[in-house]
Amino acid sequence: MSVVIEINKLTKVYEGRLKTQDVHALTELDLAINRGEIFGYLGPNGSGKTTTIKMLLGIIFPTSGSIKVMGQSDIGRYEVRRNIGYLPEGAYYPDFLKGEEVLRFYGQLYGLAGKELERRISEVLEKVGMMRARKRLIKGYSKGMRQRIGLAQAMISDPQILILDEPTTGLDPIARKEIRDILVRLRDEGKTLLISSHELLEVELISDRIGILYEGVMQTQGTLGELLTDRDTAVQVSGLSAQAIASLKEAGVLIEDLVEGRALLRVTPAMSLYDILDRCRALNLSIVSVAPHRETLEELFVRVIGAATGK
Amino acid sequence: MTEQMDIVQENPAAPDPVVPAMASAGVTNSLRAIWAIAMYTLREGLRKKTLIGFLILSILVIFGTSFITAFLNQKTIGDATQDIEIKLIKDICVTTISIFGVLITIFTSASVVPGEVENRVIYTVLSKPLRRFQYLLGKFIGAQFIILLNLALMGGLFFLVLWVKQGVPATLLLWSLLLTYFEFLIVSAFTFAISCTATSAVLPTIGGLFIYITGNMTEYLRDVSNRAGQTTLLIDQWIGNIALWLSRILPNLTDFSLKNQILHLQPNDLPRDVQIPNLIAYSLMYVIAGYCIAYWIFRRKEF
Repeated sequence: MSVVIEINKLTKVYEGRLKTQDVHALTELDLAINRGEIFGYLGPNGSGKTTTIKMLLGIIFPTSGSIKVMGQSDIGRYEVRRNIGYLPEGAYYPDFLKGEEVLRFYGQLYGLAGKELERRISEVLEKVGMMRARKRLIKGYSKGMRQRIGLAQAMISDPQILILDEPTTGLDPIARKEIRDILVRLRDEGKTLLISSHELLEVELISDRIGILYEGVMQTQGTLGELLTDRDTAVQVSGLSAQAIASLKEAGVLIEDLVEGRALLRVTPAMSLYDILDRCRALNLSIVSVAPHRETLEELFVRVIGAATGK
Repeated sequence: MTEQMDIVQENPAAPDPVVPAMASAGVTNSLRAIWAIAMYTLREGLRKKTLIGFLILSILVIFGTSFITAFLNQKTIGDATQDIEIKLIKDICVTTISIFGVLITIFTSASVVPGEVENRVIYTVLSKPLRRFQYLLGKFIGAQFIILLNLALMGGLFFLVLWVKQGVPATLLLWSLLLTYFEFLIVSAFTFAISCTATSAVLPTIGGLFIYITGNMTEYLRDVSNRAGQTTLLIDQWIGNIALWLSRILPNLTDFSLKNQILHLQPNDLPRDVQIPNLIAYSLMYVIAGYCIAYWIFRRKEF
């Protein structure tokens, strides 16, 4: 599998007036993104995600380290840039333009013209489901429609790499699903997607690999299979009393989703599942189900950030 | 798709079959991108309420001057000749074009780049296959289109008013408008350069006004410098040196004004004692300097 984005020891320091005011936005980041994958780039606000993206796009410049895109170190080259599509967070498109005019403008920046440009405009509008709204002013677009036009402008040159900053933030569930479907289709077409997002569920649903950044340092990266543990066992029980809860807590069992005597007991590998089941029977609890518990991305995120902050 | 990617990786300069129209990448694409940015800037600029406001005001003043002078003729001037009325119209209109024209020039040049930083369009634009000098050139050309269009509207109306009043096309006015544009071009280039350091239009607007005002005071600055040299006080020496330094580096904009000639010569006379090609070359020299400063600031600017 070929690497299309290769980042080595990338560091970015925003210099303050005094040395003590310097902000280390990114510290020796190593990252490799393969062709045809969706890479979920995660991290809390101010962790350095957008800084990385801006450096990839040449909007800001690294303090040290290197970036290679499609094997090229000069990421400003035409041949490199034409293969990158970018959707910024909260992108603005002039209200006085129609949807297709926005795409015409961005297409011209790629050197597209004439029939080729019009063909590309129709293609990307079709892909994002905006054909019918192409002649409407941006002013009349909903947030979801604006986001789709943003996605269309990122795809106008049929780039190999798409860099999307918060593509689904602020959208309703239906719009999110639609955007998600588009992104998966793009991946299936062989495009490489780098998605920076806070929407962990969205990322979990579509990403092949993820990386979690915190305070400019990559905390962990890998496939979801590698990172999400399924070591715990979830025992669903009913008939929980206050005495039973106290007894289970005493045994070190984590009780989740407690509603009217029903709850999920998280049994870690350090505990004996049989001991816990025996204890449940002794407490006259009804055992509804016993199943392996797969960690969610949100839990992983909290765990990784928690470990990084020492909380 | 795999083959295509491999080609790009092995030989990045190889044409990409995915985008056939891009095969002739180079000058044509570069010019196309610059033109697209210029036209986008023009469209955006024409929608700015401040600029529209200035334009409407100036047109109202130029148009309204005829009525004012007619009123003065009847009630105040009495037996004064039509010549006085025409001079009054010319005086008001030339001043109006200068004031509103330079305001439009400064506001336009000050806002085209910071405006895009503010609304974050610059992120999507700079991520495209476009070098920063191309982006700046597109924005600058777009700003010039706005300035030229406004000047053409104001000047065109003034031209018509004079034609109606005098019965002769005022070709001298056209020469004046040409020089006025090149004067605005200098102010625009420097305002634009200052705007590349700023994130809002406030600082470049102040800078633009400073250039325009001091550019029209270079004779006065030289006079200050000469006078300061006649005393021995240290503070006077300092002021004198600053005045001399400013008068040397700042453009002399007074030479671009043909106001006196418009007031006193015949409407279809040729301009006198003015080397128009030299003034245009002088203006272009400052514009190139301004653009180079803008690019030098902008090339490593982070957003």
